[in-house]
Amino acid sequence: MSTLTHPRRTGLALITPAVALVVVFVFVPLVVAVYISLTNFPLIGPYRFIGFDNYASVLTDPTFWDSLGYTLLYTAIVTLPILLLGYGLAVLVRSNRRGATLLRTIFFVPFVIGLTTLSFLMLLEAQPNSGMVNVVLRFLGITDGSTAWLVDGPLATGLLCVMVVWAASGLTMVLLMSGMQGIPREVYESAEMDGASWWQREMQITVPMLRRTIAMTVILSVIGSFLAFTQFYILTQGGPGSETTTIVMAIYRRAFVQLQLGAATAMSLVLVVITGLVTAAQFWLLRERS
Amino acid sequence: MATVTEVPAGTRAAVGRRRPSRPAAPPPGAGPERDTRGKRTLYALGGTLAALVFLIPLVIAFVRAGQPGDVIVAAPDARFFDLSWVNFQAVVDQPEVWRGILNSAIVSISTAVLTAVLATLAGYGFAKFPFRGRAVLFGLVLVTLMVPFQAILTPLYLQMNVMGLTDSLFGLVLFYTTVNLPFGIFVMRNTFASVPAELEDSAHVDGAGTVRILVSVLRPLVIPGTATAALYAFLASWTEFLGALTFLTDSSLYTLPVSLVNLQQGAYGQVNFGLLAAGSVIAMIPCVILYVALQRYYVAGLASGSVKG
Repeated sequence: MSTLTHPRRTGLALITPAVALVVVFVFVPLVVAVYISLTNFPLIGPYRFIGFDNYASVLTDPTFWDSLGYTLLYTAIVTLPILLLGYGLAVLVRSNRRGATLLRTIFFVPFVIGLTTLSFLMLLEAQPNSGMVNVVLRFLGITDGSTAWLVDGPLATGLLCVMVVWAASGLTMVLLMSGMQGIPREVYESAEMDGASWWQREMQITVPMLRRTIAMTVILSVIGSFLAFTQFYILTQGGPGSETTTIVMAIYRRAFVQLQLGAATAMSLVLVVITGLVTAAQFWLLRERS
Repeated sequence: MATVTEVPAGTRAAVGRRRPSRPAAPPPGAGPERDTRGKRTLYALGGTLAALVFLIPLVIAFVRAGQPGDVIVAAPDARFFDLSWVNFQAVVDQPEVWRGILNSAIVSISTAVLTAVLATLAGYGFAKFPFRGRAVLFGLVLVTLMVPFQAILTPLYLQMNVMGLTDSLFGLVLFYTTVNLPFGIFVMRNTFASVPAELEDSAHVDGAGTVRILVSVLRPLVIPGTATAALYAFLASWTEFLGALTFLTDSSLYTLPVSLVNLQQGAYGQVNFGLLAAGSVIAMIPCVILYVALQRYYVAGLASGSVKG
């Protein structure tokens, strides 16, 4: 790599458009956000500097804590099932048995379709009497099939969680499967000769060796859950009342419904810090074991 | 949201591609399986069951798209499998959803192309050119992988408003491109880094300039990386919801998911569930086709050390 074949100026020119976009649309807003969060910024009209009032009002606002609490609850509910289902699917498709490639594709398709589209489809199937969720439950004799899932906080949360676990476990599967395929076969063979059962081999070889991959998939799904918005907006609009309002939705409402951009930006920055801490924890976890 | 991670080495080729089967000597690193009859049965049973759980909801979606709206909201009866194209005809006839599809297509294809081009240029620059500040700037790009756009939505909205980029498909494309660039740059830098230097050197000796070298010498080698960057950008923007909902208020610019949510909330009169089902299936189809056709590039993206989630 010499400067003769690779002039410095050409290098700078090549990266400039991309870096400029990143700076303009990520770093500038981040800096501006700090300033806005210290003003009583409305969408239109004059504004003034008000110090930390927005932070004080956000941190004493029950709707902020409710949305934070609900987001934590939602994250807590879906994280372990996504990991377990993803792990199970990975075990199923990790070897090169016939059909494994097809199964991998099938299990990953919901993730590729995305929660936006899946939420619209779930909206149809969650209808009382007509939706498939109710039809199946009535067929199994569990309910009478008239459940109105989306107008009840806990029921809506349960249904949303099932949908998200179903849709997101494919990603966990692919990541864990790559890790599993990287474990040398000899490790298992010697354990097998020592008489270790399948379960013992799984728990004492696979899981410890995949610790980093598992930590990474958990953090990915935690961050994804923490930023949840779309599925809630489409299926419940955060309701009934504000029972299913996630933190991103609370920010969205503060900013674009109540038009309190200063307070909304203060909430955003709190969220930046929280996700930043989770990401930092991720790097710390991954570094520690390398 | 995307995060840089490591995937154990030697796994890249193994994912998603069928390897030649050699029954006598099972390939290394295929997990603790030693096939017995019981295990094979368990695999066939579990695999079939799980496949049904993942496929049936999608099949139902297609059935719904073929049902008239009043059948969708009625308890299943004899009309359940009376399928027709009436909803798709309505999509074509109703300007709202049809325009949404066109807008989504324009935005996501433009995003994919722009992301691929900018990420390729930047990846080349970062991988092969020793300019000052390279490490700092690349670090800056990687840091943005950790700033979720959901968290900077309000200041970003204000800024795009000032720049005249709200209520503009071009503005939305710039926004989506920015969201997808860090991952794309990361993939392309790795791609260019694996190209041997001799190749460029000999082309340079032959008198080719940077652009010539990139287009005629390096292109065939880096196309897979470019395809990965474009595919991720397309899939991420085709049904992206929060940004489109925030940055677009002019209904003629609504992308498909925003027009569907307006349809659902009754903005266009009485809710037509048939239209909603057909619109959702139309939203689903390009994702499935592109993923199945370009699975190799998708998995390469996952394995190249980065994950979009």
